[in-house]
Amino acid sequence: DEILRSLAGPPSPPGQDPHGWRVPVDCVRANELCAAEPSCSSRYRTLRQCLAGRDRNTMLANKECQTALEVLQESPLYDCRCKRGMKKELQCLQIYWSIHLGLTEGEEFYEASPYEPVTSRLSDIFRLASIFSGMDPAANSKSNHCLDAAKACNLNDNCKRLRSGYISTCSKEISATEHCSRRKCHKALRQFFDRVPSEYTYRLLFCSCKDQACAERRRQTIVPSCSYEDKEKPNCLDLRNTCRTDHLCRSRLADFHTNCQASFQSLTSCPGDNYQACLGSYAGLIAGFDVTPNYVDASTASITISPWCSCRGSGNLEEECEKFLRDFTENPCLRNAIQAFGNGTDVNLSPKNPSPPVTVPPKAEKSPALPDDVNDSNTMYDTSVITTCTSVQEHGPKLNKSKEQSLCYSETQLTTDIMPDQKSFVDQKAGGSRHRGGRILPVVPVLLLKLAL
Amino acid sequence: SRRKRARARHKPCALKELEVSVSELGLGYESDETVLFRYCSGTCEAALRSYDLSLKSMRSRKKIKKEKVRARPCCRPLAYDDDVSFLDAYNRYYTVNELSAKECGCV
Repeated sequence: DEILRSLAGPPSPPGQDPHGWRVPVDCVRANELCAAEPSCSSRYRTLRQCLAGRDRNTMLANKECQTALEVLQESPLYDCRCKRGMKKELQCLQIYWSIHLGLTEGEEFYEASPYEPVTSRLSDIFRLASIFSGMDPAANSKSNHCLDAAKACNLNDNCKRLRSGYISTCSKEISATEHCSRRKCHKALRQFFDRVPSEYTYRLLFCSCKDQACAERRRQTIVPSCSYEDKEKPNCLDLRNTCRTDHLCRSRLADFHTNCQASFQSLTSCPGDNYQACLGSYAGLIAGFDVTPNYVDASTASITISPWCSCRGSGNLEEECEKFLRDFTENPCLRNAIQAFGNGTDVNLSPKNPSPPVTVPPKAEKSPALPDDVNDSNTMYDTSVITTCTSVQEHGPKLNKSKEQSLCYSETQLTTDIMPDQKSFVDQKAGGSRHRGGRILPVVPVLLLKLAL
Repeated sequence: SRRKRARARHKPCALKELEVSVSELGLGYESDETVLFRYCSGTCEAALRSYDLSLKSMRSRKKIKKEKVRARPCCRPLAYDDDVSFLDAYNRYYTVNELSAKECGCV
């Protein structure tokens, strides 16, 4: 939030060079900046030694450690964040937690996410989905959406390759006793969800179903026999504790809690009414080792999600365990987000400013998340001939006027928006009212270029 | 027209593709999942080598009689696509390798 606020701070006169802005630095870069400064780097080294093998209280009892922490709160390391699937993600997360483990109480129920806030919306994905040729989900009510999603993936070389990658890894028998390599399976799943654009992955994971065959296909998406199920169901809090010893798992779990935590202040029960952020965190958690969530059955009537754990044997922590589990099993935000994706609906936000942002560079760097085969016959990234407005209007009376308007983009904006990793920060907090329409802040492409370096 | 058909028949060896269901592959799998099947098609007249001409000559001179030989290059995959995985009608996953051509050539 602080980052968003600092971003939203200065007004944006058109055409202004955004270089002077304070943008959230990723922790790898922040670490480099710190290393270049003798006072910062020595404090950081001290703090890391303080944290190694000691709990927070013993650490803070040491004067030297305390000073180091105080000084570092002024450094770029303090509010640095990471990006999911970024290069050196693990290194970035290690740096993040090395500071933040000292700042938090340590055993908090919810932890802040080390990842950058997600500002794109589900409607961005639907906009892309409507570009999929002849795959209008409304066209055939009898069709199996999960089967359609598999088709869309198979026809895209990048999606097909990484899907086959995890399926073959997760269904490869190791020996008579070992059914599969869970570790390798999770790694392959992580690659799939990190490197394939969400237009494909979400369709496979959150397809809506009317019959059991479809729902079973949906449940099977992550090859649960290897990635999810186990001989025994461990206790959920034990699972969480194991997860917290791993930087990546801890981060993904914190991100899930940040973006999917049920909120009673919003219309959708989701923080900031942002379904996309919740679904993204959910998908990010699938790779999260043992806390991998999945559909518990092939029911079409109700969607129940859970990690493979139970609250048996919780002792006096029964209540805390139930609370942890309910964030999956009875989470209205997560459920609404999944249903909204399946139905192709999103929160009706006020129309975004339809004119393209002025400072966005015309041709942005190719992001690593894009498939290698941009020129493939069925790619949807070639936007030069597509007029989005018409393709959206083809959906007919289902969309009302204001939504149509919000989905109409000029070609320039579309070409930049369409990059999966290029997100425009929509300023919702500044100005107090969401209904006035967010300003689109054109800072992120610059940040991304920095990240790429 | 005949001219059009003739021209189509003389297209040089190249990669083509079809969208087919897994069941249609005829490999014994039962699945409605759609996959992309890429195959090699076209003629190889431009790729006749001295080998082919000489082999033809040997055959016509009856120096090669009983053996089965092929004196014409043929349009075949030079490389195969990555594995293809799918879920079948009984909710089992399968992975098929070397299903689809990646690159074609006259060999």
